[in-house]
Amino acid sequence: MAYLLAEFKDDQALLAAARRLRELGHHRLDAHSPYPVHGIDEALGLRKSRIPLIALVGGVAGAVGGYVMQWWMNGVDFVINVGNRLPHSPPTNIPITFETGVLLASLSIVLGLFALCGFPRTYHPVFEVEAFRTASVDALWLSAEVSGAEEEPVTRELHQLGALQVSLAEEAR
Amino acid sequence: MSGVIRRVAVEAKDLELLEGTPVLAGRPGDRQLTEDLFQPVWARTRRGWLALFGICAALTGVLFTAIGYTFAVGVGAWGNNIPVAWAFGIINFVWWIGIGHAGTLISAILLLFQQRWRTSINRFAEAMTLFAVMQAGLFPILHLGRPWFAWWLFPYPSTLGIWPQFKSALMWDVFAVSTYFTVSFLFWYVGLLPDLAALRDASKSRAARIAYGIFSLGWRGSAAHWRHWRIAYLLLAGLATPLVLSVHTIVSFDFAISQVPGWHTTIFPPYFVAGAIFSGFAMVLSLMIPARKAFHFEHVITQHHIDNMTKVLLATGLMVSYGYLCEHFMAWYSGNPYEYFVFFNTRLRGPYAPVYWLMLFCNVVVPHVFWWKKARSNMAVVWVAALLVNVGMWTERFNIIVTSLHRDFLPSSWANYKPTIVDWSIYVGTLGFFGFLFLLFLRFVPSVAASEVKELRRELEHEAHAREHAPAQGR
Repeated sequence: MAYLLAEFKDDQALLAAARRLRELGHHRLDAHSPYPVHGIDEALGLRKSRIPLIALVGGVAGAVGGYVMQWWMNGVDFVINVGNRLPHSPPTNIPITFETGVLLASLSIVLGLFALCGFPRTYHPVFEVEAFRTASVDALWLSAEVSGAEEEPVTRELHQLGALQVSLAEEAR
Repeated sequence: MSGVIRRVAVEAKDLELLEGTPVLAGRPGDRQLTEDLFQPVWARTRRGWLALFGICAALTGVLFTAIGYTFAVGVGAWGNNIPVAWAFGIINFVWWIGIGHAGTLISAILLLFQQRWRTSINRFAEAMTLFAVMQAGLFPILHLGRPWFAWWLFPYPSTLGIWPQFKSALMWDVFAVSTYFTVSFLFWYVGLLPDLAALRDASKSRAARIAYGIFSLGWRGSAAHWRHWRIAYLLLAGLATPLVLSVHTIVSFDFAISQVPGWHTTIFPPYFVAGAIFSGFAMVLSLMIPARKAFHFEHVITQHHIDNMTKVLLATGLMVSYGYLCEHFMAWYSGNPYEYFVFFNTRLRGPYAPVYWLMLFCNVVVPHVFWWKKARSNMAVVWVAALLVNVGMWTERFNIIVTSLHRDFLPSSWANYKPTIVDWSIYVGTLGFFGFLFLLFLRFVPSVAASEVKELRRELEHEAHAREHAPAQGR
């Protein structure tokens, strides 16, 4: 698979190009920018991120796990009598339950981010294009995944949409 | 007609008044910003940096030597005794962890409140958090007595067949501090990813490109990345906010749930949290003022930032003062003779009274200098005041711990405490180790979040644009 990379001069041009290409039936699009561009998700038709759900599941699992751990360890498996307090004492379990909830929620957020973005992946065909190095510095790029036959018409379309430059990125052999 | 024009003019002036000094001076382009902010990373190693690094590395050596000595001899090498069983170990633990809290406050709480002035200083503050928590973590481990069994604190299925005792505030500490360190690290690293990628792409040498390429994990600034990243970053901020409050609350429980006069008070959690933010902001200022000058970051870290931080210092300083007042009031009003004795005898007139009065001067008197705009805009004044607050917050922990312990219920068990050279070496050593890590951070990582400043610049531009066009359309 190859990628056509096109640089655009501002947010508006990038958004318009993304919308237009989608109208023409290209759906394997992506945009690259040094900061999040407002409205790009809608223009590219990206769905909402699933990170919040992952965080919720992780957080609940952490909190429940933390509580059960304390109950089982101090109340069932190895009972310690502290000043004749109940072996299973809910109020004293609150701090650790909260901490394990936060810990697991945070770990799931980051691992979820890695999984959804495919990190770590230090090589990607787009890095083959030298000019693309500006994508994280000061330039806005649109990338379209193309097969051999699509290459020419999409390049033409990108130029018509006002691309400052268009390059083809292919995986190095 | 002229009335309309005058009204428009007044509004523009009002806006300027409302906005005050800008959060970003001028409108540098993205490339310019990238170059400015990454310049400390690419620049040749400077003599000043090397000299400071040498000092900090030497102090780090002192730290590890003192730790090695403590391992060999045992905690008897410290000045701790009975009744003062918690001394430097816990003072420094609470002091360092409190310093860490401002970093989370700046990056997480101010992000949730959409405070723009946080953007230029959050990376800096987060790094401070991370390194401060590392120092903090050392102390309770060394204080264990047998630090080589530190992992016994964690619940793991061992051949001993026993589990930790979760009703102890010290176990809560283990979970709070390890969670805090992990979450702070994740938050910092996730925020750093776009800038590591920019470093990879802007680098001129192959070695730098490979190194930053590995650490940026393949970040391509893709819309799909940003979509997940934004929500992940926001959620981490949302989690870090209650976490930071919980951590210092739990630290205060170490004291508050015991029965020692001077510790057994319900005001401890909020009073500790306010003190943590107070000392943390002071530390951010102490570090940022020299760094800002050395790297010529005055256009990114503007007077606006310094002004806001000093105001936070003033506000939290007042809260801390209220805490002191409340403690004394309750000691008197409760009619408990032991409590009364600690607050009105030991602290004011005991052997450690000078430390107490120094604390009152640094924490209660000094912050009031920030009522004056002149003082807030004089960097020398701000820096000295911030350093004094750091000193003040250290003496506060000394007072809470040593002063409360050395004279408790039974006069026959009273004893004074004197730190040994090993105590001082470990404390000063952690200052050096902190500086060591911080200097490495300043050298290899952009200390201002470039991607966030670029986004801020975009927002400011859109607003300026909207403001120029709005009055014309409105009338």
